[in-house]
Amino acid sequence: MSDFLVYLITGLGTGCGIALIGSGLVLIHRVTRVVNFAQGTFAVVGALTAISLLDTGLPHGLAEVLGVAVAAVVGLLCGMIAIGRRGTSPQAALMVTLGLGILAYAVEVMLWGDQGRSSEGLSGAVTVFGARIQTHYLLIIGVTAAVFAALAALFGRTDAGKALSACSSNPYAARVVGISVTRMGLIAFAVGGALGGLAGVLLAPMNSMAFDSDVALIINGFAAAVVGSMHHIGRTLAGALFLGVAEAMVAGYGSATYQTVVALGLVLALMIGQAARTHSVVAEAG
Amino acid sequence: MSAVTSGRERAVSQPPGGAGGTEDTDSSDAGGPFGARFAGRGRRAGLVAAGAAGAVTLALPPMLTASQLSVYILLALSAMVTVGLSLLMGYAGQVSIGQASFYAIGAYTAGLLGVHGTPPLLALAAAPLIAALFAAAIGGPLLRLRGHHLAFATIALQLILISLLGEADWAGGSVGLQGIPRLSAGGTELGEDIHYAYLAWAAVAVTVLVARNVVTSRAGRGLRALATSETAASASGVPVARYKLAVFTLAAAFAGLAGGIYAFFIGYINPGSFPVLLSIQFLVMAVVGGLGTIWGALLGATAITLIVQFLNDLGSRPGMPASAPSILNYAVYAALLILVVLFLPRGIVPALRDAWQRRIAGHVRAGTGTVERA
Repeated sequence: MSDFLVYLITGLGTGCGIALIGSGLVLIHRVTRVVNFAQGTFAVVGALTAISLLDTGLPHGLAEVLGVAVAAVVGLLCGMIAIGRRGTSPQAALMVTLGLGILAYAVEVMLWGDQGRSSEGLSGAVTVFGARIQTHYLLIIGVTAAVFAALAALFGRTDAGKALSACSSNPYAARVVGISVTRMGLIAFAVGGALGGLAGVLLAPMNSMAFDSDVALIINGFAAAVVGSMHHIGRTLAGALFLGVAEAMVAGYGSATYQTVVALGLVLALMIGQAARTHSVVAEAG
Repeated sequence: MSAVTSGRERAVSQPPGGAGGTEDTDSSDAGGPFGARFAGRGRRAGLVAAGAAGAVTLALPPMLTASQLSVYILLALSAMVTVGLSLLMGYAGQVSIGQASFYAIGAYTAGLLGVHGTPPLLALAAAPLIAALFAAAIGGPLLRLRGHHLAFATIALQLILISLLGEADWAGGSVGLQGIPRLSAGGTELGEDIHYAYLAWAAVAVTVLVARNVVTSRAGRGLRALATSETAASASGVPVARYKLAVFTLAAAFAGLAGGIYAFFIGYINPGSFPVLLSIQFLVMAVVGGLGTIWGALLGATAITLIVQFLNDLGSRPGMPASAPSILNYAVYAALLILVVLFLPRGIVPALRDAWQRRIAGHVRAGTGTVERA
């Protein structure tokens, strides 16, 4: 029972990280229709920046916030390259973000080397029903809950959120009423960068971060985003939590080596199931 | 339009067929590189170029040093994979970021059979076959996916494959397969690298011939149609699902054959030999050269291999940091992919061909006094 509880909480913690990556993907896709292959990169950049700042003696909190800010700037830069040029189709932009992810490898290896690094998270543990749970997981869960509440408020209540939504539902109409679709796209990329960076700094104490950690992050985030049909942030969160818990259970009761296989198998099955339900005319129109 | 769907773009940009049949109409058709409608002049130029390329390819191996020769062999293997990927992406419009999966399957097939005493030639023949069978088996459900879904699915597939191979004791686990015998046929062993160079380039010739025949066939026209619109193609009687699966399988067979030769040439494989970056390398080669063109695939593979090799030499000079070669590698793949997709979306070969044909068209217009411009 206590094992189960530990796996559940650690799974939810990992799931929250996945959810942040996935929601960044969804946000960017909603506004720009671009699937951002560099989303995992933002997490790596954010985490490595924060770790370096912590090494220089900056206090916790400040270092993490700066890491997220750097990730947001990187997100903005990626957006400028991917969608800044007129007439770049979402498919071409996908390839560009893939290229940017690889370009980031070069920069990351140059700045931080190719070995994984980890940071110190919130120390200590609490005992719940006989299960020792690291406090840091609770921090991850708390921060993620707050961020998702903020996202909901952003889209539901603010003009900026409504403008972003307008671009996603009808870019032409949005342009007609005076919304700059490109600027909204860049904002989406910057926010997506911040969300990715946040995932990175939160996960860095749990999994060491190396330049190529982005593949696992983006694959998991994409899986969650697919659950949300690349559109619904709430369903993306649910998918991410399910995925995180499923992986933790597989790793806990089975073997850690199969946790990616299980996760990826789930996504493939899910995507193929979704595709089977979509008629080809609808898919081509979309 | 995008690099990914350039086959689509090409088909769309073609003028309404049969209008006049003048040199001008022909030259604005940038269809398959060996397309039947190619102007006589273009065809002759193509044959001359092919002959010259063939002669140079055959003449090179004895002149190369040992390390250059191994680059030359790896270049041939990349070219084979890229030809298939270029067909798959250019004609069928299907993105694969996991093409190295089939390369790995071919390598492991040949390696395992070779290690367990199967005659090497048989083991090599099995490599493309098993890769194709695997592609045919997973292609049905997988190719229902489109665009970014398919892109992710192919990466996912490769990660699953690497992960499972790392766990599979029968495949040597993460240590991999060692002591794969050298290729031999009827008592003659292919012991020297130069033999592998000729073998690899002979295999390239086979893939190019097969690809060329597919492109110019009736099925090739169907493929081009489905790259434009699957719905329209299927309404016109093109068996869309079957054709997509066929190209997917063919591309996998090419990759499998290349993988098989790789296993025998290197003699040692492990899951780490087939990283996602290898798939991306094939993708960059196909995109840079020009999707849906055989020449593009060959040029892309050659250009990228040479550039990366040059940078590796540069990066491993004394005084350079140990990580310099990998940094330069990542940077060059990334920069080429980004720049070509943004500024040369159809790739180098189609862009060059367009420029060349505009020149010819310009001469024709000047000769006949026509001033209209398309």
